[in-house]
Amino acid sequence: MILHHPSPETLLAYAAGSLPAGQSLVVAAHAEGCPHCRAEIARLEAVGGEMLEDMPPESLALDAFTDTLARLDQPAPRSPALPRQADLRLPAGTLPRILASAEISRWLWVAPGVRYSRVRLPWAPKDNVMLLRVAANKRVLAHSHGGAEFTQVLHGDFHDETDRYAAGDLIEEDEHTNHQPHAGNQGCLCLASLDGGLRLPWLTRLIRRSA
Amino acid sequence: MNQAGSPAPDAATLAALIRRVATARDKQAFAALFKHFAPRVKSFLRRAGMESGAAEEVAQEVMILLWRKAEHFDPSRAGAATWVFAIARNARIDHARRAKGLPPQPEPEPEAAPSAETLTLAAEQAARLRGAIAELGPEQKQIVQLFFFSDTPHAAIASALDLPLGTVKSRIRLAMAKLRSSLGEVP
Repeated sequence: MILHHPSPETLLAYAAGSLPAGQSLVVAAHAEGCPHCRAEIARLEAVGGEMLEDMPPESLALDAFTDTLARLDQPAPRSPALPRQADLRLPAGTLPRILASAEISRWLWVAPGVRYSRVRLPWAPKDNVMLLRVAANKRVLAHSHGGAEFTQVLHGDFHDETDRYAAGDLIEEDEHTNHQPHAGNQGCLCLASLDGGLRLPWLTRLIRRSA
Repeated sequence: MNQAGSPAPDAATLAALIRRVATARDKQAFAALFKHFAPRVKSFLRRAGMESGAAEEVAQEVMILLWRKAEHFDPSRAGAATWVFAIARNARIDHARRAKGLPPQPEPEPEAAPSAETLTLAAEQAARLRGAIAELGPEQKQIVQLFFFSDTPHAAIASALDLPLGTVKSRIRLAMAKLRSSLGEVP
């Protein structure tokens, strides 16, 4: 059972199209497995539809309609080439469908039992998205955030100082959170969007020492 | 096609027109849809901060997408205006990316069949929602509108209304809770 959902404002921003691409991807991944949020997004889009109906019509140029008609039967633009995706050796169906158009790197080592794969969105290459895999009972370094961090649990579970999060849950954290995630008995696979990057105390110390 | 000055077609009529485009590639139906939606989409894009020429270009693109995607329109999942809103929202985002030399985000494959738990937000529910929006106070309606038009909603709304961020957030929550309860949903 899913216990942690995106906040109401996040779902509204998602439906309105104003959520940054990385966060939007993580919310879409959550919605794939969450009927509750899919229904809420449908409701919010319906509000958007009503807002559109309410718009005072603004007339187009005189030739706009004939111009559009002339373009109707032009072929649709070709869909982009399939992105490069490393084989992460995960069971089929583990990754959300929304990741199909993202570039996915191979697993990279972070710390003992902790690996990540960089997810690059061709339409938003600066957005910092990753898959994170933590082995059973391992910890991720304590960290705080430069901005919002959205994490969707894809498999397994983890807990931190405040709660426990299992597959299907989405966790929103902001720059005020400082936590140390700890994977459960099956380990944990997450999709995360990090705004402003991670702030790792040890990295700061290292930089200070070398300065 | 509607004569100038005739009332706007209702949600059921719009849905039927999109179905005619899907099944018969009916250009008369398309003309009626263009007449109804293109000026509203342009207006929506202008409010979202697009200048007139770009808004006009993207409004035309939205109508071309409507023509191409009509067969994916499922009136049991979303009303006509909701469906067009989603196309316009995505076209606005793609336009902003194109301006930066970035490709559009490919759309995920449409689901094969509507899932059982999907809400039926068809014509009669759109009417209920319209009633609920009309009942929002002017202040709350303005906040919901701003949220749907602005690129950086919280900050933009806070500065437009000269309100602290926290107040904007709580007012949005309140407005959305009202809409939800008018739709008969448990908040």
